[in-house]
Amino acid sequence: MKRTARTGQKLPVTKHKSGRTGVRLPILPVLPILFVLTYVWAAWYYGDVLRMARERSFWVAAADQMDFLLGKEFGGLWYIGRMGLQLFRYPWLGGLVLALSVSVGTWCVGYSMRLSAKWRWLQYVPAGAYMMYIAYEGINWFHENEGGIILGIPFCAVLILLIWTALIASFSRKRMPALIGIPKDETRWQNGAQLLMLVAIFGTQVAWTELARPYTRVIARENVCLLNSDWKGVMEVARENADISHRPIAAMYAIALVETEQIADRMYDIRLDYDSLYLHSQSGEHSLSLNLYQEDCDYYAGFIETCIHHAIERMTMIGPNIHSLELLTKCSILRGETEAAYKYLRILDGVPFEGKFVKKYTAYVGDSAMVADDPEMALIRKLEPIHDSFENNYQQPTFMGYNLALVEGRSKNALLNSLACCMYTKVMPAFIMRTAPLEGQTPPENVCDALCLMSSKDPGIMKRFNGLDLHYSLMTSRIAEMKPYMKDRQRYARELFPRFKGYYPYYYFFGNLKATKKRSESASSSAGVN
Amino acid sequence: MKNHICLLIILAITACTKSYEVPTQYSDVEGQAPMYPDYKDVVIPQNIAPLNFMIKDAEGLVVVFEGDRGSCLTVSGEDRIDIDSAEWRNLLTAERGGEIKVSVYANLDGWKRYASHSLTVAEPIDAYLSYRLIEPGYELYRQLGLYQRNLENFVQNPIYENNREYEEENNHCVNCHNFQNYDTKRMLFHVRAQHGGTILTDGDKCRKIQIKSPDILAAGVYPTWHPKMNMVAFSTNKTGQVFHMFHREKIEVVDEASDLILYDVDKNEVRNIIATPDFETFPCWNPAGDKLYFCSAHVRQMENVPDSMAAEVISHYYDSVYYDLKCMSFDMKSLSFGKPETVVNASASHKSITVPRISPDGRYILFTLGDYGQFHIWHKSSDLWVMDLNNDSAYALKEANSPDVDSYHTWSSNGRWIVFASRRMDGNYSRAHIAYFDKGGKAHKAFCMPQRDPEHNILLLKSYNVPELTKNAVRVNPEALRRCIYETAGDTARFTGNIKRCIDGNTGASLQVDGKTGASPKKK
Repeated sequence: MKRTARTGQKLPVTKHKSGRTGVRLPILPVLPILFVLTYVWAAWYYGDVLRMARERSFWVAAADQMDFLLGKEFGGLWYIGRMGLQLFRYPWLGGLVLALSVSVGTWCVGYSMRLSAKWRWLQYVPAGAYMMYIAYEGINWFHENEGGIILGIPFCAVLILLIWTALIASFSRKRMPALIGIPKDETRWQNGAQLLMLVAIFGTQVAWTELARPYTRVIARENVCLLNSDWKGVMEVARENADISHRPIAAMYAIALVETEQIADRMYDIRLDYDSLYLHSQSGEHSLSLNLYQEDCDYYAGFIETCIHHAIERMTMIGPNIHSLELLTKCSILRGETEAAYKYLRILDGVPFEGKFVKKYTAYVGDSAMVADDPEMALIRKLEPIHDSFENNYQQPTFMGYNLALVEGRSKNALLNSLACCMYTKVMPAFIMRTAPLEGQTPPENVCDALCLMSSKDPGIMKRFNGLDLHYSLMTSRIAEMKPYMKDRQRYARELFPRFKGYYPYYYFFGNLKATKKRSESASSSAGVN
Repeated sequence: MKNHICLLIILAITACTKSYEVPTQYSDVEGQAPMYPDYKDVVIPQNIAPLNFMIKDAEGLVVVFEGDRGSCLTVSGEDRIDIDSAEWRNLLTAERGGEIKVSVYANLDGWKRYASHSLTVAEPIDAYLSYRLIEPGYELYRQLGLYQRNLENFVQNPIYENNREYEEENNHCVNCHNFQNYDTKRMLFHVRAQHGGTILTDGDKCRKIQIKSPDILAAGVYPTWHPKMNMVAFSTNKTGQVFHMFHREKIEVVDEASDLILYDVDKNEVRNIIATPDFETFPCWNPAGDKLYFCSAHVRQMENVPDSMAAEVISHYYDSVYYDLKCMSFDMKSLSFGKPETVVNASASHKSITVPRISPDGRYILFTLGDYGQFHIWHKSSDLWVMDLNNDSAYALKEANSPDVDSYHTWSSNGRWIVFASRRMDGNYSRAHIAYFDKGGKAHKAFCMPQRDPEHNILLLKSYNVPELTKNAVRVNPEALRRCIYETAGDTARFTGNIKRCIDGNTGASLQVDGKTGASPKKK
């Protein structure tokens, strides 16, 4: 006779024929476990990714404003999906709805497919496939994928399944399986098979994300920190994942360093070799990751017009999105375009959960004192160009190209950004030229290392700056350490990174070699600064 | 049954809408109502749709319209009004030629009455306005379309929309729609990128053509349909864009070269009208069809510049390119053009003229005057000007202009209205504005094309581009245009005439080699 264990009861002990004693596992309520696991996945593990999908999406109730979406195939469904996605402004809230949808949908699958207890493990397949699909697309959710899919699909599936279930329930005498309680018709093996299925779904998904797309959560986390102006958070995430090297990670990290005035000190704490990303455009073609950070880099580097340019183009291509609208609001405020700022704020006012942003920046509109007192905006003011020029005159992306060619800046911050760009792109003659204002001072860490490196060509450098001696002696020994590996730099770059992390001469010789090679091959071309 | 459902829905909506009586207790406020959009003291067409407006943060709004001739209309709402179309039409019909006094009461911490303003009801305007809706400027485009709005109500219908879903192989842009004599029988527009070509319609039929030839500079761009013949004069431009990094204008659109061409629709033939190293663009026929006005710039810095360097050189001198207004006579029998003559020498005063448009009576030339260049739609200095051909005096339309961009204008067929694109509302997104042009040659304060929801212009993230008035609705349907665009390659126009654009191998400079047009080359 089969026995069932209830929560809180003592585990029953059975005696096997062989005389061995064993622990009988209780039958567990699998659907509630699915709910909890899905919630943990959506709210915590994948919460940042879904939050960013929300930030790169847009939803307001007014159909007129959503015409760009409603006029598309399945537009109505994506409209509902986007509405649900707004809940991911707070992943704990979005996760709750997603977990509920997945659990109810799974229960409906089991019932409507009339799965017997023996085959009930199959009811988890759609949920598993769905979550695997979400994980597979990864950062595409905040690139060009339709965000409405994330909750539109579960909504549609649950709706259909509920109708189906209701129909079946009307004509069938079959008892509905328990949604919350412990199923009474399952054996331990059947229950175990379902639990095994959950382990397989979540285990595979997590393992695959960690092994195949380890950058997904890192990029999303950094982005979320950036939205919160949590510069310490951005830096911590980047440094904790220093070995995962992708342009969006480096870009967010660089922004945080600019904001904390460490761009010439700590840029090389992370690996900068840039592995490829799984990222595609709306047409399904492989896409560069520039769109993931270009507007932010423009903005935080002080290029307001360029940020407006790229934000509007991003909205042109993927439709309005919260993040671009927020950047446009800030740019309009900085440019004193009062009516434009009100326009963007009014649009954002219709988006759920944007009230705080709208309230904060409404107060800024037309109030130059508030703008001046805002640390973020004050720094941007220091970085703005002094003279007009055209984006087209510079290597791309502009925030790099302009700084490579900078001849006059508003502040020391602008100079440090320019030096950082020159060091990063290894354009050393331009770097040396730009260090002139720092003569007689102790330059930042990375700049000192770069100067020492260049002193072999110009020994006078050592005399022109303070504090280089210590760096020089360190450099001598460290270069000696690197020397055996110089003959095959590509091969040893990664291996050496942990030893030389943060050290500019390592980056100079071993870092970003693909870009360096590409640049030297197309030195006369004006395109592409990596 | 359907009608009953509709009625129920309307009743339900009406039941939910708050209405207010004209307040009996209020305080008078100095100054006029802070309404959006601004419809204070404007001259309006008799057939215009209701001028709905809003007052921000109002918790009650009552508006009383009182006509000179005794008509009265009271409308109320929460923070905006939605005027009943039939009542509005009755009011304007009754008050045609007269004035309507508008009293605005708003509940802003208690009822306030603002100083009244007036609406002057004038002649009707052509019922249809066509425009393109597109995100402002920059390089990329995605979903866009040409639309036609009935100005007598709020109905907007698509003339043609490109692919809503992104498909690389079908992605295309549409631009430069144009009509013959305010009639939609003959219309054209260009399709760029995938499925490219020029679409010509004749009634409900349409066809695609390709205006390409090694002997012309590039494809046809800015069109002007001959008022009497089935011919179109185009400019043909090599255009580029550059993006400011620290400038209020944001974008510069510059030509590296441009000429004028004439396309014979019936014969599918194209020929150069003028092909000199100067930049000729924005052609416009006069109503009689015997003169072609255009803009022309001589750019000294571009002399002897090879084509490969043209884009870079022009981007350095973009703000010292000045276009003059010129015209050429046209013999409709021999199809030959006379010598270009300068009508307004704007370059002498370091100003630049673009988009000449001749009034239907042939008396006025309406154009845009800006500080430099040819793409005034991004120049805040651009203002509307007219030249009275009776006395050759040119003057700014001060009442209609704004401190921001005012450009791309069109006349109504009765010459009493001008419609133009202006960025005055927020500096970034252009909106169609309407201004009355009286018999004395004076333009009056412009007002924004009315929308059912007055907030429409705030919420819309696209610009109204190239407004063109017509007397009737476009006859060809979007599906027929889609088939024409997608399914036909388009006949290539035959090049005729003996004015050829040839490229000097050494300098890359383009030369006109024949003098049939009388437009003599400046340089050999």
